[in-house]
Amino acid sequence: MSYWAWWQGGVVLAGVMVLHWLVLGRMMGVSGRYTALIDRWRAPPPSEAEEALTAEELSAALRELTAAEFGEGALEAPLEPAAPAPVSAAPLSLGTHALFFGALVAGGLLSAVLGAGWTPSFAVRGAGLTTLVEGRPWLTPLLLGGGGVLVGFGTRMAAGCTSGHGLCGTSRLQPGSLLATAAFFAAGVGTSFLLQRWL
Amino acid sequence: MRAVLGTLLIGVAFGFSLSQMGFASWDELHAMFTFTQPRLLLSFITAVIVLAVAWRVIACFSAPRWSPRPIHPGTLAGGALFGVGWALSGACPAIVLVQLGEGQLAALWTLAGIVAGNGLYSAVHRRYFRWTTGSCVER
Repeated sequence: MSYWAWWQGGVVLAGVMVLHWLVLGRMMGVSGRYTALIDRWRAPPPSEAEEALTAEELSAALRELTAAEFGEGALEAPLEPAAPAPVSAAPLSLGTHALFFGALVAGGLLSAVLGAGWTPSFAVRGAGLTTLVEGRPWLTPLLLGGGGVLVGFGTRMAAGCTSGHGLCGTSRLQPGSLLATAAFFAAGVGTSFLLQRWL
Repeated sequence: MRAVLGTLLIGVAFGFSLSQMGFASWDELHAMFTFTQPRLLLSFITAVIVLAVAWRVIACFSAPRWSPRPIHPGTLAGGALFGVGWALSGACPAIVLVQLGEGQLAALWTLAGIVAGNGLYSAVHRRYFRWTTGSCVER
């Protein structure tokens, strides 16, 4: 199959990142979603009751207590204007993260259906990877699973992956993102040249 | 509703684009990392340049509060480990899901690895490290 031209891919990728910010009010960061999902799964939030209290309910309860303590007059005192809430203050729900992951899967599926056709299989794809694991079936779980562990460990350690650091962080010239991106790219190049010896 | 629809559409668009770019292919990624095929690298650089302009434009019309991404003790080592894992498995955290959607079911190994690695880091961090890493998605 033929892939998108380099400029096309670049522009569309950037567009998706900008949309993520404009529509969802936060920077795209896929590894952060894994962290959120895994942490929530390991330790669910203790109390639903506190989260269930809306701003209006909280305000009403405070007014009631204030009136009881200082009299109704205290409520007439001018109030400080409330600071605007930060856009991304509310934590995303587990369902939202799961929906995003499901949507990524759906995107890949759509691409396959519209392209070469959807033919799911457990066989590894690509000449390079196939050559590597040929005659060594135990190498597939080792290469993919082991590589996956490094990806999960490393992205959480660096607090970001290709989207959060590589695209959204570097384009804002964030020092942590520039260093992380340089590190993962250099390591990827080094590892790939090492793998090349077995291809 | 806006969040649900937005998450769904952006996720599908992101997954579809990554697949159409060839980012979900082990061979294409290997070709990028060994500089035998410049397409993906050029796409990446183009995206960063377009984004740098886009953030400037957005900052003209609003005062966005973007979280800073400072260097911390895990940045270099974490990035390097991720790079090795990416080159070996051919997947980053988003790509693995796109691969599964494409029907590359062997990527289930990679997904299991990423989930295990993420959980493992949190245990290792609590036990041995003393710094704050921050997070990609502000939760």
